Amino acid sequence: MAYGGVVPAVIEATRNLTRSVVQPETPVRLRLWAFLVVCAAAALLAVTSLVMSRVQDQVRIIGGEAAPQAATASDLYFALSDMDAQVARMVLIDDAEALSGSRIDALGTYQERSQQANEDLQRSLSTATGAADRALILALLDDLAVYRQWVWQALAAETQAPPQPPGKLPPDALGYYTQATNVLHLDLLPAAARLRDASEARLDRAYADKRVTETVGLGLAGLLGGGLVVLLIILQVWLARRFRRIFNPALSAATVVTLALVLAASAVLVVQGQRLAAARSDSFAPYLALSQARAVSYDAAADTSRYLISANLPYYKEDFGRKSDSLAAFNAFPEVRDRWATYRRDHERIVALADAGKAGAAIDTLTGIRRGDAAFDFFYFDAAAGEVTAARKQDFDVSLREAERLLTGWEVIPLLAIGLVILLVPLGVRKRLAEYR
Amino acid sequence: MKLRHIGLVAVLALVAGGLAGCQANPPVAAAAISCAAGSVQGQGSSAQTNAVNAWIRNYQVSCPDATIEYDSTGSGAGLRAFIAGTGDFAGSDSPLAPADQPRADARCGTGPAIHLPMVVGPIALAYNVAGLGDLRLRPATLAKIFAGTVTRWNDPTIAADNPGAVLPSTPIRTVHRSDSSGTTDNFTSFLAATAGGDWAFGGASTWAAPGGSAQRGSNGIAATVARSDGAIGYLEASYARFHNLATARIGNGAGEFVALTDEAAGRTVAGAKSAGDLRLEIDYGTTAAGAYPIVLVTYEVVCQTGTPELVKSFLTYTASPAGQAASTRLGYAPLPEQLRGRVAAAVTALG
Repeated sequence: MAYGGVVPAVIEATRNLTRSVVQPETPVRLRLWAFLVVCAAAALLAVTSLVMSRVQDQVRIIGGEAAPQAATASDLYFALSDMDAQVARMVLIDDAEALSGSRIDALGTYQERSQQANEDLQRSLSTATGAADRALILALLDDLAVYRQWVWQALAAETQAPPQPPGKLPPDALGYYTQATNVLHLDLLPAAARLRDASEARLDRAYADKRVTETVGLGLAGLLGGGLVVLLIILQVWLARRFRRIFNPALSAATVVTLALVLAASAVLVVQGQRLAAARSDSFAPYLALSQARAVSYDAAADTSRYLISANLPYYKEDFGRKSDSLAAFNAFPEVRDRWATYRRDHERIVALADAGKAGAAIDTLTGIRRGDAAFDFFYFDAAAGEVTAARKQDFDVSLREAERLLTGWEVIPLLAIGLVILLVPLGVRKRLAEYR
Repeated sequence: MKLRHIGLVAVLALVAGGLAGCQANPPVAAAAISCAAGSVQGQGSSAQTNAVNAWIRNYQVSCPDATIEYDSTGSGAGLRAFIAGTGDFAGSDSPLAPADQPRADARCGTGPAIHLPMVVGPIALAYNVAGLGDLRLRPATLAKIFAGTVTRWNDPTIAADNPGAVLPSTPIRTVHRSDSSGTTDNFTSFLAATAGGDWAFGGASTWAAPGGSAQRGSNGIAATVARSDGAIGYLEASYARFHNLATARIGNGAGEFVALTDEAAGRTVAGAKSAGDLRLEIDYGTTAAGAYPIVLVTYEVVCQTGTPELVKSFLTYTASPAGQAASTRLGYAPLPEQLRGRVAAAVTALG
């Protein structure tokens, strides 16, 4: 009997449960709807929080790691180029009393650039992510030590030799200088260029990663946000039909908040993505190109000195032409381009003087600071080149800060909005449920 | 109704929070040199040439319509040319002599010729002695070393200035300039003023004491000190700094041994009395606390009235914090702030 009594009870309970799921009674159905809506809201919260915090991280990686690394590598290339340009000046001037100001300026600048290269290398080493990069930086440090050794040997050999006629170098000094400038051009600069390329590739990857997050984030936010809105609307339509109340303030508010969250999150994702992409193409890429061109311009200008030091070696004349022709990045800035053209004319005049055997006059034109002298005209060119380069960097920094500001608060905004939605849903169905008690 | 308001507020909050960063303030333009146009010329002191050349370069880069030239002819020649009416300003290591002042005033016409202190050049004593990281020398000891009466680093005279230091018996090799120079003039004038009977050679731009190694230019001194064990030489501060040479602390009138820094050199200048306009009486025996005593102040001499606008604009830059910073990079010390303010005011008052 007892056994016979249990079976029908189980069958009855199962039937009830099945009926309540398949043909649910109103309160159960209401609870089920509310639960479904809350689940969808929780999913939306998880996705928006995750996407926004990931984008924040990725912007931080771009602005705090990848872009500074690329800028540091670019600065290293520049500092190394100018170090050798200053050494060429010092070697050329020797201890000519009339040019002592130019020499001490060159020595001071050499020390500054040397310090700058040290700092760039230290920064690169502390932020390097791969073993290959670290090995490259350590090799750069070793080569830099070798370079400095040759430089001081060249300067010491020059100081210890008897005074020479203008532009004529003691053979030992020329030998050591050739070693130094070879280490710089054959080892240091190519390695610095590789480091720069590697850091630019890392920047590319950081941008690509962020684009993936944005696309996936926009898709998921649209899907889940849209789903939640649809669920909320269906619930309201059903409530309106079932309870003959057209308007449910709490659920309407929840719908509006959900819509606003999804729209705002999508807008922020799209706008910061556009801003940062534009910042890169309009500011950072030009900044790197200009910085590179500026480094090459220093190296080219040093070829004017090297031509005199080397007793008119045609190699340096040709090298100047090659480097000068590669300064296309300046073409977008007529003032910079024109000032370089002026320096180029000075260079040609100096080469002509040297070719005519007038080394003294060539050195005076090279080191002179009057308008029309090479040292002034180069400084004049560099002031303009430095200005446009720094302006691009500043534009990029401003855009980056804007993108970061745009993302500010998005750690908590989804939580607040969805928290509100999750509170509003039970509020919206509470009174209807109460009718059944 | 209430909830609708909450919804509206939430939407506004979300959009405002999300897009607040759209407006960014434009970057503030850097302070620029206030330019004048034209062409002017100055000449004189070679001690300030490097500073003046750097200023001219910076000024001309900012002001494409201006051309300024400065010939390093020496202070005497510079002042003579100014009095004769050539040149718009003169650079000088010392103020006009009393006899020359009326002639300079006459050249200026309606107003007097005035002195503007502009460049402060400290002189360092660089040395290369085994195991000696901190060397203190009072002026009398310095005079004995350069006069050749103290010949070894462990001499009791040096030991008395450096209690507790372990001094080697290395012979002292003094290094001086072979060429005539303002640095030699300034250093020997300092010894003549402060070392009493220990320095019998007076102050002059050509080295007069016997012995020692003679080298061309501050660069020659720096290179020789760098390669000679036991060497000591005087040179412009920038050369010691850029060649990474150790420099001695020098005894001042207060009995302190003071290391060469911009601030310490500035204290000697700040402590100088000014006679008349801004002519300074630098006291090599300064008793100002923390003052490094071997400094040279050089002036720009200009007419109070009738000075070309370009000279006024140029000197406004040189007396500005940016101008003084540009010369500091070359190893000069900046004018002490209070004096710089007075010089800048004097430039503003030029007619």
